[in-house]
Amino acid sequence: MTDHVSMALLERYATGGQGIAADTLWAVEAHLEGCAPCRERLGEAVVRRSPEATALLAAVRAKLATEVASSPQMPAQATRRVGRWVPPGIWPRLAMTIVVIAAALVLDLLGGGQFVLLVAPVVPLLGVAAVWSAGLDPAHELVVASPRAGLFMVLRRTLAVLLVVIPALTVAGALAGASPARWLLPCLVFTAGALALGELIGLRWAASALALVWTAGVIAPSVLAARAPLILEPVSLPYWAGLLAVIAVALVLRRDAYTGLRSETWSVR
Amino acid sequence: MVRAVSTAETAATAYAWTIHADGLRVRAGRRMAVDGLDLAMDTGVHGLLGPNGAGKTTLVRSIATVLRPAGGTLTLLGEKVNGRLDLRGLRRQVGYLPQEFGYYRRFTVREFVEYIAWLKDMPAAETPGAVQRAIDRVGLTDRADDRMKTLSGGMVRRAGIAQAIVNDPRILLLDEPTAGLDPDQRLQLRALLRELGTDTCVLVSTHLVEDVAAACTDVLLIDAGRLVFQGVPADLAAAGDSAGTSAGTSAGTSDSAAERGYSAILRRHRRERES
Amino acid sequence: MGAVPSTMDEEYLVRRIALGDRVAFDELYRRTSPWLLVRLRRRCADDELVAEVMQETYLAVWRAAGAFAGASVGGTAVGWVWTIAARRLVDALRRRAREAQPPPAVLNAPAAPAAEDQVLDAQVGDAVGAALRRLSPELRQVLQAMVLDGLTVRETAVLLGLPEGTVKTRARRARIALREALS
Repeated sequence: MTDHVSMALLERYATGGQGIAADTLWAVEAHLEGCAPCRERLGEAVVRRSPEATALLAAVRAKLATEVASSPQMPAQATRRVGRWVPPGIWPRLAMTIVVIAAALVLDLLGGGQFVLLVAPVVPLLGVAAVWSAGLDPAHELVVASPRAGLFMVLRRTLAVLLVVIPALTVAGALAGASPARWLLPCLVFTAGALALGELIGLRWAASALALVWTAGVIAPSVLAARAPLILEPVSLPYWAGLLAVIAVALVLRRDAYTGLRSETWSVR
Repeated sequence: MVRAVSTAETAATAYAWTIHADGLRVRAGRRMAVDGLDLAMDTGVHGLLGPNGAGKTTLVRSIATVLRPAGGTLTLLGEKVNGRLDLRGLRRQVGYLPQEFGYYRRFTVREFVEYIAWLKDMPAAETPGAVQRAIDRVGLTDRADDRMKTLSGGMVRRAGIAQAIVNDPRILLLDEPTAGLDPDQRLQLRALLRELGTDTCVLVSTHLVEDVAAACTDVLLIDAGRLVFQGVPADLAAAGDSAGTSAGTSAGTSDSAAERGYSAILRRHRRERES
Repeated sequence: MGAVPSTMDEEYLVRRIALGDRVAFDELYRRTSPWLLVRLRRRCADDELVAEVMQETYLAVWRAAGAFAGASVGGTAVGWVWTIAARRLVDALRRRAREAQPPPAVLNAPAAPAAEDQVLDAQVGDAVGAALRRLSPELRQVLQAMVLDGLTVRETAVLLGLPEGTVKTRARRARIALREALS
C-alpha cells in the first residue's frame, strides 16, 4: 500500500475522529485493518494525544496479565480435525467389521472354506448401519436437524466406511484366495441397496434385513453345500452391475428422505 | 475486511411471526401428539409448559424440522415447512437442544461445539471465535478442553446449550435446558435466556413453572396437543390468585401463584373438554 | 521464549501464542490494542463497556489461539481480532439492553472535508468517497456496521439500538444512494 495515513490524521482519529470527513474516516479504518506500520503509528498517536485512552489500555493490560496467568489455554495439539467424514460414534462398529473379516479369514485358512468371499458383500453393512441411525450415533438428532443433513453427507460417511472395509477385505481375500473381482461389485450393490432401502424403512433396519436375507439365502446354503454360490461367480457380474445402476437411480430419486422431516410412522428410532 | 452485503440480507421482512402454527398436527409414533395447535411467536423468550405427554417435545422436534407435520401448517421465518421446502437455509438459522442430548464422550467441549458449527455450515474462518464465544456464554470456559465424559450432568447440559447458540440462531429451541442444573446455574441460564431473547425467538420447554415465571416474556401452556393458554407470566400468576381464593382447599402455602395458575388453567381446560 | 522480532507479522504471533508464549501475547496486545480501542470507542461511548470488551477479546485470543492458528483459511489475524471484538461488543450491548437503556452509539456530526486530508484512493474511489460524504449519518452508520465492521443485520440493530426493519431500510437506501452516485 503506497498511501499511508498522515500522522496529523492519525492523531485526530485517535481522539475520536471528530471533524474528519466521512469518506476519509472510512478509508482510514479500512486501511488500518490491513496496515501494521500505520497501526504502530496510531499507537504513538494515542500515547501522545489521548491520556484517557492510554490509561484504559494500561488498565486492560494489567487485568489481562493476571487473567492470562490463571486462564486455561486450549492445548496446541488440540487442533486435530475431528471426524468430519466419519460419524464420531462409528469406531466400535468398524472394529467389529474387522473382527468379522478376521474370523472369516481364520475359518478359511483352517478349514479351506469360502467364508471371506461369502461375507464380503454384507460385511460393510455393519458400519453402514451406523452412518445414519439414531441408535448408533448419539448425536443423530442434532445431525438430522442440521443444514448438512442429506444424501451427500450419508454418501460421504459411507465412503469413509468403505475406505476401511474394502482394503481389509482385499488383504483377507488375497490370503484366502478370494479375488476382489468376485466380491467388489456385490459389496457395492449391498451397500447402495441398504442406503436405498434405508430411505424407506430406516438405514439400520435396511442393513439388518439385507444381511439377514444374504445369510439365509446364500451363506447358509453355500456352507451346507460346501461350494461357492453361482451368484458370486464372474458370470453373474453383469447382473450385479445392472442392479447397482437401478439402485443408484432409486437412491438419488428418493434422496429427500435423508434431508430430514421424517414422519414418525415409519422412522424407527 | 470490507464485507459484501447481499440484497437478500437487507430485503424487508415479509413475515409477521418468527414461528407460526395453524391447526398443526404432528404424529409421534401412532399417537397424534400435537393435534390442532395454533401458535404465533416472535422475538422473546417463550416458556412452553404442559404435563408429561402433552406434546411439548413433539412440538419442539417439528419446529426443529426433524418431524414432518401430519396436518395444518407450520411456518418458520416465513417459510412453510413441508416436503418441498429446501431446509438448508432455514436450518442454518435454528439452534436446537434436544431433550435427550446425545454427544460424543471422547470429544472435548470445544471439539463437540466445533463439530456442530461445521454441521451448521458455518464459515471455517469464523468458527474458532464463535465456538469460544458460545462456550464463554454458557460459563464453560474453564472446561472447554476437557472431554465431555468428564463433565457433570449440569455441565453437559450447558455444553448442549453452547452447541445450540454457536451459530447465533434466529430460532432457538431448548428442550428442558434446566434439567440437571444446580440453583446457581439455573440463575445464570435465566440471565443468558433474557439476553438471547433481545433478538432471538427462544422457545424453552420445561416442567418447572418457576423457570418460566422468572425468565420468560411469554408463557405457552399446552395440553393434549393443543394450546390452552398464552400470555405473560403475570397472567399465569393472576389465574393462580383467583384460583387460590375460589378453590382455597388444596393449595399449599409453598406453591407459587404461577404454579397454582398452571394447574387451575389445566383443570378448567379439561373440564371444558369433557363437558 | 525470547524477544519477538518486530518484523514478525501478527499471524506468526498468534501461532506463538497458541504454544503458550506470553511474550508473543504481550507483543500482539502492544501492536493491536490502540487500534482496537480507538475503533471500539468510535462505536460505543461507554468506556467501561469498551474496556470489558477489550479484555474479553484478548482473553478469547489467548484461549483459542490454537484454533485460530489451525483455521488459517483466508483472513488475517487482525481481522479475526476485530471479528471477535465486534461480536463481543454486540453481546455486551445485549446484556446491557436487558438491564437498562443501551449507551448512545457515537454519531459523528457531518463534517466538511479538511484540506489537508488526502483521500486514500486505494480504499475509496473519488466517486464513492463523495457519495459516502453526502450520505446522511444515519445511513452511513448502518453501512459502516455492516460493510466495514462485518456485522449482520441483527447485530447492527443491537449495536445501533434500532429495530431490524429500520436497519434493513437504511441499508437499502444507502445502497441505492451509492449506486446512483456511481452511475
